[in-house]
Amino acid sequence: MAFDAIFEPIQIGKLTIRNRVVSTAHAEVHATDGGMTTERYVKYYEEKAKGGCGLCICGGSSVVSIDSPQGWWSSVNLSTDRIIPYFQNLADAVHKHGGKIMIQITHMGRRSRWDGFDWPTLVSPSGIREPVHRSTCKTIEEEEIWRIIGDYAQAARRAKEGGLDGVELSAVHQHLIDQFWSPRVNKRTDQWGGSFENRMRFGMEVLKAVRAEVGEDFVVGMRICGDEFHPDGLTHEDMKQIAAYYDATGQVDFFGVIGSGCDTHNTLANVIPNMSFPPEPFLHLAAGIKEVVKVPVIHAQNIKDPNQAQRILEGGYVDLVGMTRAHIADPHLIAKIKMGQIDQIKQCVGANYCIDRQYQGLDVLCIQNAATSREYMGLPHIIEKSEGPKRKVVVVGGGPGGMEAARVAAERGHDVTLFEAADQLGGQITIAAQAPQRDQIAGITRWYQLELARLKVDLRLGTRADEATLEDLRPDVVILATGGQPFLSQYPEWGYSENPEESLVVSTWDVLSGKVAPGKNVLIYDSICEFSGVSAADYLADKGAKVEIVTDDIKPGAAVGGTTFPTYYRSLYEKEVIMTSDLMLHKVYREGDALVAVLENEYTGAMEERVVDQVVVENGVRPDEALYYALKERSRNRGQVDLEALYAAKAQPCLAEEGDGYLLFRLGDCTAPRNTHAAIYDALRLCKDL
Amino acid sequence: MLDTLLPILIFSALALAVIGAVRRIRLWRQGRPARVDLLRGLAAMPRRYLVDLHHVVARDKVMSNTHVATAGGFVAAAVLMILVHGLGLGSSESMGPILGGLLLLASAAMFVGSLFVAKRRRNPPARLSKGPWMRLPKSLMAFSASVFLLTLPTLGILPAGTGSVILALALAAVLVWGLGEMFFGMTWGGPMKHAFAGALHLAFHRRPERFGEGNRSTGLKALNLDDPKAPLGVETPSDFTWNQLLGFDACVQCGRCEAMCPAFAAGQPLNPKKLIQDMVVGMAGGSDAHYAGSPYPDKPIGEHRGHPHGPIVAREGTALVDAETLWSCTTCRACVEECPMMIEHVDAIVDMRRFLTLEHGNTPGKGAEVLDNLIATDNPGGFDPGSRMHWAADLNLPLIRDMGQVDVLLWLGDGVFDMRNQRTLRALVKVLRAAGVDFAVLGNEERDSGDVARRLGDEATFQSLAKRNIATLSQYRFQCIVTCDPHSFHVLKNEYRELGGPDFNANWVVRHHSTYIAELFEAGRLHFTPWKGGRVTYHDPCYLGRYNGEYEAPRNVLKALGIEVAEMQRSGFRSRCCGGGGGAPITDIPGKQRIPDMRMNDVKETGAELVAVGCPQCTAMLEGVVDATAEVRDIAELVADALVERPAGSGGGSDSARTPQSASTRPLMKEVTP
Repeated sequence: MAFDAIFEPIQIGKLTIRNRVVSTAHAEVHATDGGMTTERYVKYYEEKAKGGCGLCICGGSSVVSIDSPQGWWSSVNLSTDRIIPYFQNLADAVHKHGGKIMIQITHMGRRSRWDGFDWPTLVSPSGIREPVHRSTCKTIEEEEIWRIIGDYAQAARRAKEGGLDGVELSAVHQHLIDQFWSPRVNKRTDQWGGSFENRMRFGMEVLKAVRAEVGEDFVVGMRICGDEFHPDGLTHEDMKQIAAYYDATGQVDFFGVIGSGCDTHNTLANVIPNMSFPPEPFLHLAAGIKEVVKVPVIHAQNIKDPNQAQRILEGGYVDLVGMTRAHIADPHLIAKIKMGQIDQIKQCVGANYCIDRQYQGLDVLCIQNAATSREYMGLPHIIEKSEGPKRKVVVVGGGPGGMEAARVAAERGHDVTLFEAADQLGGQITIAAQAPQRDQIAGITRWYQLELARLKVDLRLGTRADEATLEDLRPDVVILATGGQPFLSQYPEWGYSENPEESLVVSTWDVLSGKVAPGKNVLIYDSICEFSGVSAADYLADKGAKVEIVTDDIKPGAAVGGTTFPTYYRSLYEKEVIMTSDLMLHKVYREGDALVAVLENEYTGAMEERVVDQVVVENGVRPDEALYYALKERSRNRGQVDLEALYAAKAQPCLAEEGDGYLLFRLGDCTAPRNTHAAIYDALRLCKDL
Repeated sequence: MLDTLLPILIFSALALAVIGAVRRIRLWRQGRPARVDLLRGLAAMPRRYLVDLHHVVARDKVMSNTHVATAGGFVAAAVLMILVHGLGLGSSESMGPILGGLLLLASAAMFVGSLFVAKRRRNPPARLSKGPWMRLPKSLMAFSASVFLLTLPTLGILPAGTGSVILALALAAVLVWGLGEMFFGMTWGGPMKHAFAGALHLAFHRRPERFGEGNRSTGLKALNLDDPKAPLGVETPSDFTWNQLLGFDACVQCGRCEAMCPAFAAGQPLNPKKLIQDMVVGMAGGSDAHYAGSPYPDKPIGEHRGHPHGPIVAREGTALVDAETLWSCTTCRACVEECPMMIEHVDAIVDMRRFLTLEHGNTPGKGAEVLDNLIATDNPGGFDPGSRMHWAADLNLPLIRDMGQVDVLLWLGDGVFDMRNQRTLRALVKVLRAAGVDFAVLGNEERDSGDVARRLGDEATFQSLAKRNIATLSQYRFQCIVTCDPHSFHVLKNEYRELGGPDFNANWVVRHHSTYIAELFEAGRLHFTPWKGGRVTYHDPCYLGRYNGEYEAPRNVLKALGIEVAEMQRSGFRSRCCGGGGGAPITDIPGKQRIPDMRMNDVKETGAELVAVGCPQCTAMLEGVVDATAEVRDIAELVADALVERPAGSGGGSDSARTPQSASTRPLMKEVTP
């Protein structure tokens, strides 16, 4: 049987898991009700269980003590009995679909923030500051150690009483247990530091206390790292020794293994490998741990594809695979494997929109699946066919918003035509995928291509729609997702002209799409600081250009998320790209064969010049509104979207009204430039009731 | 003059017929012995002919009436002719007019029938054999007309001596032609052979239990593996039992089998009619050059020859039949179902396959691999036998080993290893739970039923699997086995008893899931939301329908769901096979098109958006069709989707958001619903 390794059940402790696929612990940022699991939280996990996921470990960094604040990332609060009935809801929702659910519990020690909520004093073994959160902390005292050990036991009890199937003790990501383990952070000389046994003591006491509280039948696992990747940190050999040490107690039911420590920006980027990483980059570390322990080992990091999962499991490297982002992208992944619909799986592309939002304390969302974590609002992963009238729907623009609108409308059973001026679908995704290490973003388009073909959407590629072509089709609904164009005309001093012969500046789109050949000595001016600027820099440097990227913001790539800017920086520094902040592009002029860019320091007003052969400007997108205004007056709804209905994810009221002519909606960048998720979200909520 | 001539002619013809019959019987007796109750068979023969056989023939009303007139007229005319003209009773004053009058009537009826036979032969359908069969209507007319005319003077309707001697001789000559065809030809291999062999075939049929209202006999008969002298299947024509050879001789070459055979339609090298004729050639020795029907697709006539004691399938080169002909059969029984002569084609094919597999070890395609898998792992896919229950890890299915006794034993079949079928199984479990059925499964104690092994000719592996399943089943107490697999259903119901002894299934019955679901619905234990989907058709699985006569229950279930079935032209007992039976997908003999493609075309013709099925094999075959216009779903899935869950207390779930407070007072749900 294909995928037999995935579908082989496994025993963890006394618990049978129906398959080998796990949604591993991650901060959902959904426990917004003071750390209680909300309806959103429950539905988010129910969807995964419904979709066939074997085991969900929820609640990344769910706290056991009040001095480990939960509010920053809205994690689950297990420091109070109030949580127990909430857990019962959660457990029921997952169990009724045959899934199992555990929760990660932890004390984060120094790895948090102190400047809010209860204004706690953070604790850590030796009071050493944590750089990622810029958090200072105190040196933990013996009494606090024993209090926290007791808190772990009580938290585990609450999970058990709430009907969850187990707990995972987090000893990874530099939480308190592995802060004690790591000599990089633990400089103590008492019984809690120094020798191997002493550094292990805190975790061991936690394990013993938890086990004593919950008994033998409740699953207790540990999540550990496979190598901290710090010269002064724990090595892979250290971690094998640690895992074997805990395993020997017979009290640990499973180990989850993650490659890399994460108390610097750079190591943190390894933990949730983005699209620049190869598949399963740290599997060898998990496999190393599996060699020395007797209980099942779970590993998650860049495992996105059923064939990949099968290969890993078949090879026996680990016992269970974490497919966590894969489930954020498509919670029905397992069901689709079983249905023989592998091609319909929306595969994670590693854009890390989910985790990068979480690092800012924002709710976890998927760049390409707007239904994820909005299940509670009624946004569906599986679109039901409409029972209403069959409509003629015309979508203009084949970027993410247009593709999603066409997909959803077609799933509803409507007759859908999609116009795209370019020869291929994708819109700006196509351009973004040209940058080095960013090709996988095109996976978003690939999925839509397959789906639109499956749904038999009439694709008119290479065709620019005008009023006449649209109205000839006698549409009931017209959806404009025509995007926009690089906004280079904002300041005349930049010397932009629509005539490429005359224009002094080019856009990042021109560069990435290959429309303009790379210069040899290039200045990139990036006022946006998202992916496009650094992508263009990386692309040009890759082609051999000398590149300086300048921004008026605090740093180039400042708006790129926490797990992705480090991989850009690795690449840019490697290629000797110069990154300069605090300068505005004042003016560009031509001098002989060269271009001179005049830059103004934002804080001093001082001017400086660069002599280059190419000036690339990234200044965002200007909406393409022409078609909209051409159609607006003739549409039944004058192009207006009912915002109350939209935000409540309800049907647009005008759909129920009778009338001649068509309804007109626009979404995505042709309204105002936002991002991929925004365009897809608008398309889904607008079209799901079409 | 005729008074002298006619008895001579008649008794000469009869004498020749007797000599022919003896020779023919000696051909049949080349076959192996078979236990047949000769007297009881002969006694039962008229009823088998008039009721059972007629039931099949009567599917074609015109042909049926034609045959009644022609055959009835002939039998009566032949007997009366012997009395009137042979024994001279026509001149008896008391009997003559009555017998003569009856003879006139009989020959007239026969003549009318012959006209219809002749009419059909004017533009005969492709399925009919030509050759000598083309002259048969003329022979029939010659016989009936000459007898009629020759009887007129006997009765005095025409004065004796009417016409000239020449005319009388001419008439006698016509009669000779008729007698030659009807008497001499009957036993010397002419078209009328079917009457002689057919009558005896009905009397000595190898499956006497198939006759009688509502009876059927479809299970394959076991090989005696304990007898070292018994051949392992059929190598030569003489390895068939004598009554099988007799059965082959009964063939009328009407080609109804050919018209229904899915393999023939797909252009695979099989034509059931030709196969039977090849057996006839084989038993007499010779070549197939005189065969006048449709050949095996792409296999020219005249290249094959056989001998009663020579191999049917050559190890190298050609003999009587090529192996691929035998491996093209899906064992769908459409030929057997259609055969007006009640010939058992499938038995013969499997007999020959047994020899190829057991003695040659020559099972084509993936056959050898599948059989090796069955031997090593008890399942055809070669999966770890310990993984049989992996699909149900989250269903907490009770094991009968833990329960000891249950109402229903759910037989899962090898579909447990197939993700598509797992959906059907999960749906079925959901349905059983919704109805509150007390059921359990065998879990890892279950083995492949042996269906595929048996139909691939590996009787030894079949019996090994069967015996172990029988031993397992005998440990437990249950009232009913329910299965969604018609192949397991058939084997459990019809084929294990011969190995398990008469008491094997004395205390339980086997139900196809559609039958059981229909019963649950009838009993008010299931409730459905009305069907909202589009047009639906139903595909009858061969092993449920033709093998076991269950045509109604699946339709009743669909009706209960609110579905009005848009029937395919070929449905019920004429359902076209999906192509998945008899190991055909495993041996995979190429043709011009695929059988499931043709079946999905049948579906398309109904305009159905969905085809309901009740067999994992059919599901797999029909779902494998590229660009199909209809979705394929098992009846269990349709039922599970339509279930209205029982009200509170049934473990239905908690879809509506509950407040945490209320949740805390509620007992935790331990039972997991699928």
